[in-house]
Amino acid sequence: MPKQLFLSISLGFRQPYLFAILAMVISYIFLFMLPLISRTALDILLKEPSTTGNWLTMLASAAYTGDDQDSQTLALLLVSATISILLTALAGVFFYLRGYWIASASEGIARRLRDRLLNHLNHLPILFHNNTDTGDLIQRCTSDVETFRVFLSGQVIEIARAILMLLVVTPILFSLHPKMAWLSLASMPLLFFSAILFFRKVKSVFTRVDESEARLTTVLQENLTGIRVVRAFARQDYEIEKFAKSNALFREENKRLMRLLGGYYGFSDFICLGQIGLLLIAGASWTIAGELTVGTLFAFITYESMIIWPIRHMGRVLTDTSKAVVALGRLSEILSEPMESQNELSPQHRLKGDIVLKDVSFCHKGSQPIIDNMSLQIQAGETVAFLGPPGSGKSTIVQLLLRLHDYQQGSIFLDQYELSELNRKYARNQMSIVMQEPFLFAASIRENLILGRRQATEEEIHAATMAAQIHDSILKFPRAYDSMVGERGVTLSGGQRQRIALARALVKQPPILILDDSLSAVDTDTEAKILAALKNQQHHQTTIIIAHRLSSVMHADRIFVLDCGQIIQQGNHETLSEQPGIYQKLCLIQGAIETDIEQSAAMLTAATSELSE
Amino acid sequence: MSDAYFDDENYGDEFESSSKPARVNLGIWKQLLAYATYYRTDVICLACCAFVVAICEIAFPLITRSVIDDISEKGFVIDLLRYAGIYAGFCLALALAVTGFLWFGGKLRSHISHDIRRDGFENLQNLSFSYYDYRPVGWLMARMTSDCERLSDILAWGVLDFVWSITIMTGIAGAMLFMEPVLALVVLTTLPLLVWISLFFQSRILKSARQVRKTNSRITGSYNENIMGVATSKTFVTEAQNLQHFGNLTDQMYESSVQNAIQAALYLPMVMTLGSLASGIALVIGGVELGWGVISVGTLIAFLTYSRQFFEPIEQMAHWFAEMQMAQASAERIMSLIAAKSDIEDSPEVKARLQNQTSQTLAEDGLSNNINQIEFRQVDFSYAVGGPVLQGINLTINKGETIAIVGSTGSGKTSLISLLCRFYEPTTGKILLDGVDYRDRGLNFLQSNLGIVLQSSHVFAGTVEDNIQYGNLHANHDQIVNAAKQAGAHYFIKDMPDGYTTQIGESGSSLSAGQKQLISFARAILADPKILIMDEATSSVDTLTEQHVQTGLKALLQGRISVVIAHRLSTIRNATRILVVEQGRIIEEGNHEQLMEAEGRYHRLYRQQRLSSLWES
Repeated sequence: MPKQLFLSISLGFRQPYLFAILAMVISYIFLFMLPLISRTALDILLKEPSTTGNWLTMLASAAYTGDDQDSQTLALLLVSATISILLTALAGVFFYLRGYWIASASEGIARRLRDRLLNHLNHLPILFHNNTDTGDLIQRCTSDVETFRVFLSGQVIEIARAILMLLVVTPILFSLHPKMAWLSLASMPLLFFSAILFFRKVKSVFTRVDESEARLTTVLQENLTGIRVVRAFARQDYEIEKFAKSNALFREENKRLMRLLGGYYGFSDFICLGQIGLLLIAGASWTIAGELTVGTLFAFITYESMIIWPIRHMGRVLTDTSKAVVALGRLSEILSEPMESQNELSPQHRLKGDIVLKDVSFCHKGSQPIIDNMSLQIQAGETVAFLGPPGSGKSTIVQLLLRLHDYQQGSIFLDQYELSELNRKYARNQMSIVMQEPFLFAASIRENLILGRRQATEEEIHAATMAAQIHDSILKFPRAYDSMVGERGVTLSGGQRQRIALARALVKQPPILILDDSLSAVDTDTEAKILAALKNQQHHQTTIIIAHRLSSVMHADRIFVLDCGQIIQQGNHETLSEQPGIYQKLCLIQGAIETDIEQSAAMLTAATSELSE
Repeated sequence: MSDAYFDDENYGDEFESSSKPARVNLGIWKQLLAYATYYRTDVICLACCAFVVAICEIAFPLITRSVIDDISEKGFVIDLLRYAGIYAGFCLALALAVTGFLWFGGKLRSHISHDIRRDGFENLQNLSFSYYDYRPVGWLMARMTSDCERLSDILAWGVLDFVWSITIMTGIAGAMLFMEPVLALVVLTTLPLLVWISLFFQSRILKSARQVRKTNSRITGSYNENIMGVATSKTFVTEAQNLQHFGNLTDQMYESSVQNAIQAALYLPMVMTLGSLASGIALVIGGVELGWGVISVGTLIAFLTYSRQFFEPIEQMAHWFAEMQMAQASAERIMSLIAAKSDIEDSPEVKARLQNQTSQTLAEDGLSNNINQIEFRQVDFSYAVGGPVLQGINLTINKGETIAIVGSTGSGKTSLISLLCRFYEPTTGKILLDGVDYRDRGLNFLQSNLGIVLQSSHVFAGTVEDNIQYGNLHANHDQIVNAAKQAGAHYFIKDMPDGYTTQIGESGSSLSAGQKQLISFARAILADPKILIMDEATSSVDTLTEQHVQTGLKALLQGRISVVIAHRLSTIRNATRILVVEQGRIIEEGNHEQLMEAEGRYHRLYRQQRLSSLWES
C-alpha cells in the first residue's frame, strides 16, 4: 500500500528529483577536483620530479611567459587559487540548483499529500470518524506528513550523496595510490555496520522518548482543560505530583537518549579520526620511502574527510528512512479507507419535503438493531417530534435521513425518490440539522451563518438570527456579526452556540429542518419564542424536533414516542396526554409537579420499570 | 485545538508591536540562565568538554604539519611512532570529549526544560481563574511544551556552541598568528565579510522558517476543524469549500517552505566560496612564502586546513544569535508565566496561622472546622474587562438548606457561584463563612470542602473508577460504587465493557454528555462536601435519568449547604429557597409557594413550563 501511494503522489515530481541528483553529481565533480589542484600545486612547489610538464604548469606558463622563477611560482599559485575558487563557485551554483529542485519537488509532494488527506477526511463516512481518535488523525496528517517530507527533502538526497561519494572518490583514490586507497577504505565496513546496528538499537529509545513526551502532554492538557475540577476538589498537590512524575520521566528518557547518542558519536568520531590518523602515519612512511608525494598525501587526507562523515551519518539516514516508510504506511491507511459513494442521482430541483419510512431497519455491525422495522409518514410542511429515552433510535433516524449512515432494510422516500439512490450531497442540501452540541468554525459569526448558503442577503441573515432569538446577543458582541468564534474570539455559552447553529440552519432555507435536541441549553422562555417564530416562518418547511423536554415537543403536529427502535405511541399532545402510556407519565413527571414530589417519584419508579421491561 | 496552533508565531502579534525581530533583551536571558547555572558542575563540565573538542580540532592540523615538515625537510621522520601516539591520544581525548558534551549537554538540557516546566506548572496550579480567562488552553500548552524545549535548547546547546566557537576561533587565530602572522592577518580579513553574510542569511532563514511554522500551525488547526466539524461539513455540504480554503493554506506553505529552502541553498554556496577565497589567498601568499623559504610546506597545509575550519563556528554563532532573537518573545512569555502572581491567595496573616496550627479539632487555618452558614453581604462583582456582573447581592445560606438559582443566560448565576467558591473574589462587599470574611480563611480550607458539578462536566483520561475517585483519593471500591449508585451512574457503568475499569478516552470522548455529568455527580458525592454546588447539571440528561439522579440527590443534599443552578424548574422546585437572578441582581427570593403567590418573573417561567398552561394558550 505505501508503495502504491508513493508511486501515485510522486508522479510528476520525479523529473525535478532527477535534475537535483544530476546537479549534485556535477557539484561534487567540481568539489572533487579541488584536492587534486592543491596536490599538484603543492608538488610543483616542492619540485617533485613527477610534476614536470603537468597541465597546471602548462597553464601557469601560458599565464606568465617570463623566466623569473618567483614570478613563475606566483603565476602557478594564482592560477591554482583562481581555478579553486571558480570550481567552488561553480559547485555552489549547482548546489543551489539542487536545493531549489529538491525543495520544489518535496514541497510539491507534501502539498499534494496534505490536500489529498483533507479531501479524503471530508469524504469519509461518519462512522469512520466516530470510531477514530481525532488526536491520532491529526497526528498522522501533521507529523507523519512532516516525517515523510523531511525524508523527501533530506534523506533521499543523503543516500544518493553517500553512494555517489564512494563511487566517485574510490576510483580517484585508486588512481592516485592503490595501497593508500585500500587503507583509506579500511574502516568503512566497520563504520557502516556499527552505524546501522546502533541506530537499530536507539530506535526503541526514540520511541520511548516520544511516548513519554506524549504522556507529559496529556497530563498537562488534562490538567489545564480540567483546571476548574482540579480547583473544585482542591487537588493541586495531587496534580503537581502527577505532573512531576511524567515530567521527570520525560527528562530521564531524554537523558538516556543523549547518553546513547553520546556513546555512539564518541565511538564513531574515534574511528573516523583514527582512520585519518592511520592514513597520515602510513602515508608519511610511504612518503619517506619515496612512494608517495606530499601533495598526494594531502589529497588523501582531504578526500578521506570528505567521504567519511556521510558514511558515519548513514545509520541515522537509514533509521529516518524506515521511519518515513512507517509514516507513509500510516497515511496510506487513511487514504485507502473507502469514501462515501458520490455517483447517485442528483436532481436539479428543490424537494417538497415529504418523508416516508417503510419497514426501515438499521444496525451497526454485529450489534442489536437500532431502528427496528419502522414505518412512518411525514407530510411536507408538517412539524413532528420524536421523544424517547437515550438509545431509542431518535437520532439514528435523522442520521439515516442525512445519509450519514445507510439503512440496511426497507425504504426511505424523500418525495418520490428512494433515498439510497439519491446523491448524498443533494439529499443533505435539502436539509438543515441543528445538533445538541453544535460545531461552529473558528471564523466570524457571519461566516458561520452563511455556511449553508454563501449568497444569503443581510436581511435573510437577520431574519434567521431574529427567529433564533440571537440577533440581539450578537449585536452586543464587540464586533457584532464580524466577531470571531472560537478560542481566540468571543466566548459563547451553550445556549448561544445552539441558537447560532439554529440561525445557521435557517439561513440555508431547506425544505426539511431537523432539531436534534438542539435547544437543551436554551431556557424555556427563549425556547417558547423560538418555537413560535419557527411556526410563523413564511416558507414553512418540514420540521423534525428531537427533545427531552415536553415544552419543546408539545406544539408539534404529531409526536412519535420511540423505544428500542420502534414507534410505541403517536399522536398530538392532546391525544397522547389523555392516553395511558409513557407520554402521559412523562407529562406527569415533568410537568404536573403541583402534586407531591413523592408521588412523582413513585410514578417514576413505575415508568422506569415499565420502560426497562 | 492543537497546541501547534498556539505556537508563538500565531500569538506573537499580540505581544510584539511589529513583525520585526525583537531586540535581544539580555535581562530576560540572564533570568533564564539561572536555570542553567543551578547545575554549575554540569555547566563547567560541558564547557570543559567543548573546550577540549575545540583544542583537539585545532591540534590535528598541527600534527599533520609537523609530520609533513619532518618528511619534506629531513626526508624522514625521526619517530613516526611518537606521532602516532600523540595522534591517538588526541583522538581518544576528542572522542571522550564528544561523548562528554553530549552527556552533559543532554543532561543539562533535559534538566533545564524539566525545571522550567515544573515551575510553570506549579505556578499555574495557584493562579486564579482570571489568569485563565484570557489565555486559551492551547496557548498555555504551547508555552509549556514547545517554548520550554526551545529555550532549553538555546540554554544548553547554545552555551556549548558558544564555548566551542570561541575556543576554536581564538585557537585557530592564535595558531595561525603564531605560525605566520602576516599570512594569518591576510586570511582573517575575510572574517568580517563572512560574519555579515552569516547574520544576513541566518536571520532571513529563521524568519522564513518562522513563516513556515506559522502556516504549519494553521494547517494543523484546519485539520482539527475539519475533523471536529466533519458532521457539520457533511450536512451543510461544504466539502469543496473546505478544500479550497485548505488549498490556500497549503499553497502558502509550499511558497514559504520553498523560499526557506532557497535561502538555505544560497547561503551554503556563499560560505563555501568565501572559504575557498580564504584558502586561495592562503595558497597564493603561502606558496610564495614557501618559495622564499619563509614557511614550511607543513605550515602551508595547516593554513589551508585552518582557513576552512575557521568559518564553521561563525555559521553556528550566527544561527544561535538569530535563534535568540526569534525566541525572545518565547523567553518573555515563559518568564511572565512563571512570575505571574495569583489575584487570590492566602493573606500573610492566614499564612502565619496555617504555619502555627497544631490543634487536631480546628481547621488547618486555626479556625473552626465547620461551615454552618455562608453570607453574602453587599457583594458587587465585575470581571477585569466589562461592566458589573453582580450588584448588591445579599444572601444567607444555612446548613441543610438548598438554594436554587433561576435566571436567563448571562444573568450572573455562574458568577455568583464562582464567587462562592472563591474562584473570584468580590469587587466590593464581603462573603462570610460563619461570620468570618472568607479572605481571612485558608483558601484550601474552603475549596477542600466544596463539591462541584460544573455546566460542562470534565472527565479525565483514565478509568471510570479513577474519575470518580478524584473526589476522594482515599475512597475504596465499595465507596466508589456506592457513590455511582447514588448518582444514578451505576446502571450504565456496569454495562460498559470493563465496568468500573473501563478506560475513558481523551476527555472521555466515548461517553455521552449525560453520562459525563452522572460521573461528575458521583465524583461530587464521593467527596462528601460541606458545600455542594451544581451548575445546570441536569440540562442534558433525559427526564427519566434526571429523576433517577434527583431521588439520590435528595438524600445527599441533606445536612449540607447546597446551591443549584438549573433551567428546568422541576429540578429545583423542592429547594428550600429559590433566587431569581436578573442582570446581576436578585430580583425575587422565597420558596415555590411564596414566589407563585407573588406572580412575578418566577411565576411566569413556571406557568410556561406547566402542562396546564398549555391548554390555556
